[in-house]
Amino acid sequence: MSMARARRSPVIARDSAPTPDTARRLTQYALPLAKAERLWFCVYLPKLPLEACGPGDDDLAVIEERQGVHRVLLAGARARAAGVLPGQSPNAALALLPGLRLEERNEIREQQVLELLATWLEQFSSFVSIAGRDVLLLEIAGSLRLFGGLKSLRRQVAAGLEAQGFEASLAIAPTPLAATWLARGGQRACVREPANIMAALRSLPLSCLDWPPTALESLAGMGITDIGDCQRLPREGFARRFGVKRLLELDRALGHAPDPRNSWRAPERFCADFEMTEEQGDRELLLAICHELLQAHEQFLLTRQLGTQRLLFTFFHLKAKATSLPLGGARADRAADHWYELLRLRFEKLVLPEPVIAIRLRGGTTRALHATSGSLAFQGGAPREHYYSMSQLAERLAARIGNESVHGVNAVADYRPQYAWRTRDLFAARAADALTRVRQGIERPLWLLPEPELLSMENGHPLHQGKLRFVSGPERLETGWWDEHGIARDYYTAVSPRGAGLWVFRNRDHQRDGETAWYLHGMFG
Amino acid sequence: MVGARMPRDSDTSSLEKLLENPRVWRARSQPAPAEGLSSGYTQLDRLLPGSGWPRQALTEILIEQYGIGELQLLMPALASLCTEDPGAEPVEPGWIAWVAPPFQPYPPALQKFGINLARMLIVRPRNDSEALWSAEQALSSGTCAAVLLWPHRLDDQASRRLQLAAEKGGSWAIAFRPLAARHEPSAAALRLELSADHRGTRLAILKSRGGSPAVLHNVV
Repeated sequence: MSMARARRSPVIARDSAPTPDTARRLTQYALPLAKAERLWFCVYLPKLPLEACGPGDDDLAVIEERQGVHRVLLAGARARAAGVLPGQSPNAALALLPGLRLEERNEIREQQVLELLATWLEQFSSFVSIAGRDVLLLEIAGSLRLFGGLKSLRRQVAAGLEAQGFEASLAIAPTPLAATWLARGGQRACVREPANIMAALRSLPLSCLDWPPTALESLAGMGITDIGDCQRLPREGFARRFGVKRLLELDRALGHAPDPRNSWRAPERFCADFEMTEEQGDRELLLAICHELLQAHEQFLLTRQLGTQRLLFTFFHLKAKATSLPLGGARADRAADHWYELLRLRFEKLVLPEPVIAIRLRGGTTRALHATSGSLAFQGGAPREHYYSMSQLAERLAARIGNESVHGVNAVADYRPQYAWRTRDLFAARAADALTRVRQGIERPLWLLPEPELLSMENGHPLHQGKLRFVSGPERLETGWWDEHGIARDYYTAVSPRGAGLWVFRNRDHQRDGETAWYLHGMFG
Repeated sequence: MVGARMPRDSDTSSLEKLLENPRVWRARSQPAPAEGLSSGYTQLDRLLPGSGWPRQALTEILIEQYGIGELQLLMPALASLCTEDPGAEPVEPGWIAWVAPPFQPYPPALQKFGINLARMLIVRPRNDSEALWSAEQALSSGTCAAVLLWPHRLDDQASRRLQLAAEKGGSWAIAFRPLAARHEPSAAALRLELSADHRGTRLAILKSRGGSPAVLHNVV
């Protein structure tokens, strides 16, 4: 510690040098601040160029062009077993493994994958930073309690990364750079105290530092191979030879200089693609991919406390036009399983003209959605997972049998029987809920026929299963003159010989063959 | 951290042992009152076990034709299900799902019978299998207090499924079937036959779990 402090002095001297007195006082006041330590969790993805090409591809090698020559950058498991090594020429690699698939490094895709991972990591910390091409940093001091401590948090992150098919090296340190270097060094390090940083970094080879090769070479020429060696060099000389930036990096790593980072913020609307290497027609597989996309979507919304009511799946084909599958819910939701169930119902009916080459999931406009607290385990003993709300039920029904086939009803104040009701859209907001009371006391049937049915006649008497017996009536309805659907009818209640209660009417003005036509309009059920 | 971990197995078993003690009274484990849902017709209530419609079970109503009072028979009970009971604890009133109704249930008349129109769900499936699926979903959702279903066909297995869904969701299932179905086996807890002629209606209890067959005249 004292050694570090002694080496630090030249930097301080460059700024306004505090007198020994003020320095002591500063330290005193700085003590409480030291309690609010930051702790950085670094996720280093050494195989990102390979992993960005898709999961589980063992026969793949990623090649990169350097100074006009292609070289193998990374190779999949089977390729490595066959002897394909980084730095080989593509031809040499192909000679070793004839079935080898070579793919050019795609940094744009790597960046996309990195952003997706950053989105996923946002569930663990509100501060996620993308630091370089293959490094993600999380500030976790504030998250430790929520995730049950450092070990548990680390385990959750590691398990999640592994499940997503990423090989990651994780390290925790009080400064972002120290964490990054430790992770790059492949050490499962966990340093909590700033005082211990130096001890952890000391033996770390300089190759972990992402410094330019020329600097590393000349350092190696001086016999300097690890960070401990570097620290022992005189500061001025080091700064002169290798640049103030390198010195600053060392200071930052050890916590002697502040290292501000920017938190990464994802766009507020979700859009993710899943590209396949070859066309896929297997619907189960496509569904599984959709589920994966939905999970990423859920994570995306979860970190923002948002939900959405609409989703759009697009299935791309090589030759045909893309097929789109919109999904809608009655309320904002983000749960992947919920959306997946809706998707499965709709997907059953979806016709795909061709095999699929890529799937895109685009989220709809989002709405604030706050998580509801789960009940304590001992409160609700009964399993409630099968229970869902009306809106969820309506969604499920509509997803399978169509939106227009699931609805509510409203009464409307109109004397014309066929206009005295209207369907109510269960998915619309509650605006259409304004109920109008109809006049009480009038006889109305429980069943209304979609269209009045013309009754056959016998000697001027209407028939339905035989001669009708009139019970009450007439109730004269003459209204609707303001539009084309005006009516002038006399309604009667009648009973058929077989006991059915019927609601029949005759038009007052329309004569048919000199006789009045009778219609059946409803049944008293 | 280590101290916080509890030996779970022994704990739950000792809890169970404690709960077996007859002196422990649990509010939730009261024997469910076998009381039925009052039909609103005293004559009928007297003949039904639990003096009312069987809750959380399938009721089958066999009818010869529509319009002979088959809905009026249910209306008082349905109205009590979908309106808030001022005396009872504040429970969301249930929904009433109509799956594949043969005609349009007419809101003005429903209102007259006291049905809360805001709690009506009408489902018009395209075929019988969709109808059955919809009814099952509605029954097991736990949101529908009653589900009315008009299937073209309902075999023994389907009726069993409806019965199970009704039990699961605590919902009352009512299936309307033609008279011809009276000789088909069914898992329904209650089977009624409603017929009418010029003298009036005749309601026969064909099967009643915990009750006995009976015939009533002019209930509706």
